[in-house]
Amino acid sequence: MKLIRVLLSRLLIAIAILGFTIQPAQAFCGFYVAKADSDLYNQASQVIIARDGQRTVLTMANDYQGEVKDFALVVPVPVILQAEQVHVNEAKIIKRLDDFSAPRLVEYFDPNPCQLYRIQQDALESSSLPSPQSAQRREFKTDLGVTVEEEFSVGEYDIVILSAKESDGLETWLIQNGYKIPRGAKKLLQPYIKQKLKFFVAKVNLEEYDSQGFNKLRPISMAYESPKFMLPIRLGMMNAQGDQDLIVYLLSPKGQVELTNYRTVKVPSNVDIPEFVEKEFKDFYTTMFQKSYEKENKQVAFLEYAWDMGSCDPCSAQPLNREELKQAGVFWLNSPTPAPGNRVFPRNSNVFITRLHVRYTRDKFPEDLRFQQTGNRQLFQGRYVIRHPYREAITCNAAPKYQQSVKERQEKEAETLANLTGWNINDIRAKIDFVEAKTVPWWRNLWN
Amino acid sequence: MNYSSLENSKFRIPILFKDARDYQIAFLGCFLVLGISTRDWTLKPGLIVATVVSCVLTQWLLSTVVECNRQEDFSFSNYQVFTAPKVLNSLRSALITALGLCLLLRGNSYQTMILAGSFAIASKFLFQFHSKHFFNPANFGIISALILTNDAWLSPGQWGTDWWYLLLFAGLGGIVLKKVGRWATSVTFFITYASLEAIRNFWLGWSWDVWGHQLTSGSLLLFALFMLSDPRSIPNATIGRLFWSIAIAIVTFILQDYFYLSSAIFWALFIISPLTILCDYFWSAPRFMWNKTAIT
Repeated sequence: MKLIRVLLSRLLIAIAILGFTIQPAQAFCGFYVAKADSDLYNQASQVIIARDGQRTVLTMANDYQGEVKDFALVVPVPVILQAEQVHVNEAKIIKRLDDFSAPRLVEYFDPNPCQLYRIQQDALESSSLPSPQSAQRREFKTDLGVTVEEEFSVGEYDIVILSAKESDGLETWLIQNGYKIPRGAKKLLQPYIKQKLKFFVAKVNLEEYDSQGFNKLRPISMAYESPKFMLPIRLGMMNAQGDQDLIVYLLSPKGQVELTNYRTVKVPSNVDIPEFVEKEFKDFYTTMFQKSYEKENKQVAFLEYAWDMGSCDPCSAQPLNREELKQAGVFWLNSPTPAPGNRVFPRNSNVFITRLHVRYTRDKFPEDLRFQQTGNRQLFQGRYVIRHPYREAITCNAAPKYQQSVKERQEKEAETLANLTGWNINDIRAKIDFVEAKTVPWWRNLWN
Repeated sequence: MNYSSLENSKFRIPILFKDARDYQIAFLGCFLVLGISTRDWTLKPGLIVATVVSCVLTQWLLSTVVECNRQEDFSFSNYQVFTAPKVLNSLRSALITALGLCLLLRGNSYQTMILAGSFAIASKFLFQFHSKHFFNPANFGIISALILTNDAWLSPGQWGTDWWYLLLFAGLGGIVLKKVGRWATSVTFFITYASLEAIRNFWLGWSWDVWGHQLTSGSLLLFALFMLSDPRSIPNATIGRLFWSIAIAIVTFILQDYFYLSSAIFWALFIISPLTILCDYFWSAPRFMWNKTAIT
């Protein structure tokens, strides 16, 4: 039963099958405002926050599903942003971070119990859906206490930065300018206005969008300096239905980032599960996530990955290179160049990634998310292990003992899976290809 | 430190739970076990041991030194001083401080926790006014580690807001507070802080569940019930304590909501602690002694 462990170093091959997961995060820090009556709800959001001290680069991507011409986005931001502080990013950078940090399935192959070694091969794959986004439309201010602080275009987006004195005025301004405000917006905008936050309003410039031949809206990045380390999620709850998912990739020079006003809990990890899960990994992970979420009373953020960006083990995707890190918003790389690392001693880079998966609803997450950077450099990853039994003919007397140990192991894996997902244990057993094992009389182990 | 209470009680066989600190030790120990087993903490056993050992050892050494100074005919051949009841008795306080540190402070390295533990205890001996220390030792240790090391942090969100923790903390805390007779500081702090947050919440226009969520934070309750009630370092007179608690609540509110400090309560206590001296100057009252009941 323990034979497998012998080969860890060699046979380990990672397979990250993540096609799902990220289930693309939903929800968002702002809300969409539609110009038409089309049904709009944001299903998923992914956000990258690179932060050192008070300097922050925030990249937002969400899988807006309506017509591009109807898209518009309102997000509270802590400061007035100017054109050069806003940048249209590539969707692939979110995908790179996603692939790199996604929960992973790892497989190991048992060796022939008769000859202790044997090499196997592996596979590696990962995927997940990044998100697009877009906007369209523009207008200017009125005397409703709303000031258009900045107005500029970046890539396919037309952007307006607004400050407001009263939520009534802001709401009226948005309506006058052709936005359909979700019901209840006024009440939710008020606290942000009082906290002196500004409003980042983005729309898609259709001409630009068409001329560039994009098929998805690209993420928007913004760079600013502020002591506030938070994500406003309350506005986003207005036009999303049910639970919303948000994946936040937090990049810091120091260590892990955690929430200060909600618990940050590690997602169940490092468990052995049956072989067949390889084909249903997406289903497995989403079910397990949902179960953990319910178990924690739906009011925690899950830590899915915490790692130094200089290495990975096993890697579901190569670590981001310098250029990609910059693209993700890491601005502190300019200073000291990280020493090159190698396989044995991976370099300790000065970028630490934390991937938080927050599934939230209005009643369980009344407050916006507040973060803090910590010095915690403990590594963590969502990792699920499959161990393939040796299924060839075994031509020595190690066979019965080995087979029995595998059978016990398979039963244990079934129980683990049932525990994690809530699936029926008998259904699970039916799917497992149990090895044939002749029962070994108990006394044989005693005297042999 | 005040040891006079034990003058006549040498070699008394310790009776558990006669001293209110035994309750504190038991409760804090329970919280630690509860936290480690049910909350997702990144607490390594080695670091807990390092914290406890550093606190207890520092207390033992410094108490011994103090005791030696008090004995005029002291000589190093007199080993008994190391096991004098006064010295041993003071280890209880060290253990409380150590448990408080384990519950609240996080670090990556042994050095950080040792620094926090030894500074916490040393502060009791170094920062005294009229033989009374005015910094809460655990709080001093926490702030020292935050300032002097790179890898220390606090996790204000770690306890979550589950309602049963609220009850558990409040219930157990209440017993302890009753035992040490200093519940007023916690209550005053909590009322002031809750009122300030309520006013801000109302002004901003948030719904009331935001306010509820802020106040049910397990970490906030733990702080208010166990750290603010430490009878040895807070002002002696009731009015002084009220003034002191209100000041802490106000500073916490400002640091948290206007300077966005996530560990505002600890900084507030640290900043306000020296006010204890002033409070005692203006409003005098007999000082608290742990063993008052044991002697009389």
